[in-house]
Amino acid sequence: MSLFKRKPSSHAAADASLRKKKVALVGNPNVGKSALFNALTGAYVTVSNYPGTSVEVSRGSALIEGEPCEVIDTPGMYALLPITEEERVAREILLTERPDVVLHVVDGRNLERMLPMTLQLIDAALPVILVVNIMDEAERLGLTFDFPLLSEKLGVPVIAAATAKKRGVDDIRRAIRGYRLGSHAVFGYSRRLEGDIEQIARMLQGEYPLSNRSLALLLLQRDEEVAALVRRTEGDTYPAIEELVREVTFSRRETFHLDLSMERKAIVTALLQGVLQLPDKRRVTMGERISNLAVRPLTGVPLLLIVLYFGLYRFVGDFGAGTLVDFLEGTLFEGIFNPWISGLVKDFIPWWAIQELLVGEYGVITLGLRYAVGIILPIVATFFLFFSLLEDSGYFPRLALLVDRVFKKIGLTGRAVIPMVLGFGCDTMATMVTRTLETVRERIIATLLLALAIPCSAQLGVILALLSKTPGTLLVWGACLLLIFLVIGFLAARLMPGETPMFYMELPPMRMPQLSNILTKTYTRMQWYFLEILPLFILASFLLWLGKITDFFAKLVDWSTPAMHLLGLPKEVAVAFIFGFFRRDYGAAGLYDLQTKGILDPRQLTVAAVTLTLFIPCVAQFLVMKRERGWKVSLGIGFFVSGLAFGSGYLLNQFLLVTRLV
Amino acid sequence: MIRCGYCGHEFPEEEGIRSCGRCGKPGSCRMVRCPRCLYENLPEPQVIKKIKKVFGSQK
Ligand SMILES: [Zn+2]
Repeated sequence: MSLFKRKPSSHAAADASLRKKKVALVGNPNVGKSALFNALTGAYVTVSNYPGTSVEVSRGSALIEGEPCEVIDTPGMYALLPITEEERVAREILLTERPDVVLHVVDGRNLERMLPMTLQLIDAALPVILVVNIMDEAERLGLTFDFPLLSEKLGVPVIAAATAKKRGVDDIRRAIRGYRLGSHAVFGYSRRLEGDIEQIARMLQGEYPLSNRSLALLLLQRDEEVAALVRRTEGDTYPAIEELVREVTFSRRETFHLDLSMERKAIVTALLQGVLQLPDKRRVTMGERISNLAVRPLTGVPLLLIVLYFGLYRFVGDFGAGTLVDFLEGTLFEGIFNPWISGLVKDFIPWWAIQELLVGEYGVITLGLRYAVGIILPIVATFFLFFSLLEDSGYFPRLALLVDRVFKKIGLTGRAVIPMVLGFGCDTMATMVTRTLETVRERIIATLLLALAIPCSAQLGVILALLSKTPGTLLVWGACLLLIFLVIGFLAARLMPGETPMFYMELPPMRMPQLSNILTKTYTRMQWYFLEILPLFILASFLLWLGKITDFFAKLVDWSTPAMHLLGLPKEVAVAFIFGFFRRDYGAAGLYDLQTKGILDPRQLTVAAVTLTLFIPCVAQFLVMKRERGWKVSLGIGFFVSGLAFGSGYLLNQFLLVTRLV
Repeated sequence: MIRCGYCGHEFPEEEGIRSCGRCGKPGSCRMVRCPRCLYENLPEPQVIKKIKKVFGSQK
């Protein structure tokens, strides 16, 4: 896409008196821009794709207070720094069409969220009129505004409107007619940021459609289109500018985006002092307070631990895997259902092999169904409930930002946070998402770490449940995984040097999770999960049964006995590892079963859990790995992970034997 | 409209990335991935859609 094509400037002056006045509407999606566009233009509208893109742009003619105008409705944008194609087009319109008036339409109910973009537009020296829309709703919420004060603080006209109800449209027309670009407000950032901006802005000599200040900020945010524009305009002096930008971004690469967005938020808070009155009930914005706590390492880490303790340990572990599983698996299945169905089958089906298939040691009903319904169901139900709660509250992006800092410390890319967070849902999916990472190096590291140290939600749930019965073990397990994750990440970063790209995401607001949302999500996830796993559990039971009656299974267990003994584990644990290859959670459920039978002491349990978590990914994940990274890399990862899993298990066992920690 | 569980981006269900058929899940994966950050989101269950239709609210 060719951005910033500038019209020859000699024409611009001559045309100014002749050409129609241009009015551009900008703003987030869903703020009522289209309603305003329709109200201003009436019938004469054309909708066409923006050249070279699939993005639609509407244009219309209007007679505003007797003056002919062209009105352009731009695609939704969230910031001057574009991410999506829509945002790119919206910015290109702002810059290449040089509108005489830019109407920034915002949602009055969320002024605080919307104003950062107003700041950017004003900072860029664009001719802004702020339209605070959806005022009817805002008033119903009890919000009161002092718009003259806001206008004075911003240095631009501010108009209250409810365009869906045609309210304020006349005021907007008058403001467009009377608009004169005067001096606008300049918002001061912190001294350090101002220093950076000024240094770069001072070096810019050319003539641009944006203010130098705003260009400097975009350069610092690594906006490639702006960089290309500056390169073209500045010519010989560009390398010096590029060097300076690189220096500044390098020295602040960890925090620049976060700092900038925090500073903008602080400015908006100050702007709204005296402008916005919240009704008494809504004054406490708990969400924001929690949000700030969650992204700062000093408070974010303890907060994360609290969340994990109550959410995973107490709720999933104690309640789901303790109380609920005891009832379903212990009382219902072992106590009532299994003896009944076993008796029934043995009475009516004389053949031993079929009896075994249905109700034997690895029977489809007595093992497959019992695992699925008795153990996995209550655990994933509580886990999904907790997961949906976090998701709905908007905590995940904060977690990503928090973890991002740690990642960078060990030389991992911040972007990899996304697949890692997804990995806790399903590693198979997450492995696929690694293709969004920028370099092959990152993709391989991320794939490796996913296969190695990130348990999927079902496995995580079962393992937490398993270990939370003997508390010390959970700590050792967590510490081991974290240590291995960090060490391997650190080594990978050392062995494969390269630049760490920036990671940035706009934080959506935190909000009170809604019960209906959480329940719907939990229900849907569980339904799908079950449709997906039940056939697999049955298939696995079948294969295990086949292994048993042909004695192949016993041989497999015998073969792995030496390995189990090296880990200090009884040979029965080999069964869990074999299960684990079918599905991660199946293996964990096998371990759960062994523990209930009292075969494992806490030390053995810990060693088994650590080894199993690290151990090879399930079949599905392996297949995706093969498809995404090819045979060589995925087999390499498979062997490396298995070796590392057993090696770590061995060392951990020795360590625990010596220290008697658990 | 789906509100992305990760980045908060709101998008119509048709705009999400669907059933690429490559995640290796048995059957077909019904998740809708956010066009902005690729997070897996659940589509709105049919039941809820119907209820909303009955009550005629848009959001
Ligand atoms: Zn998203």
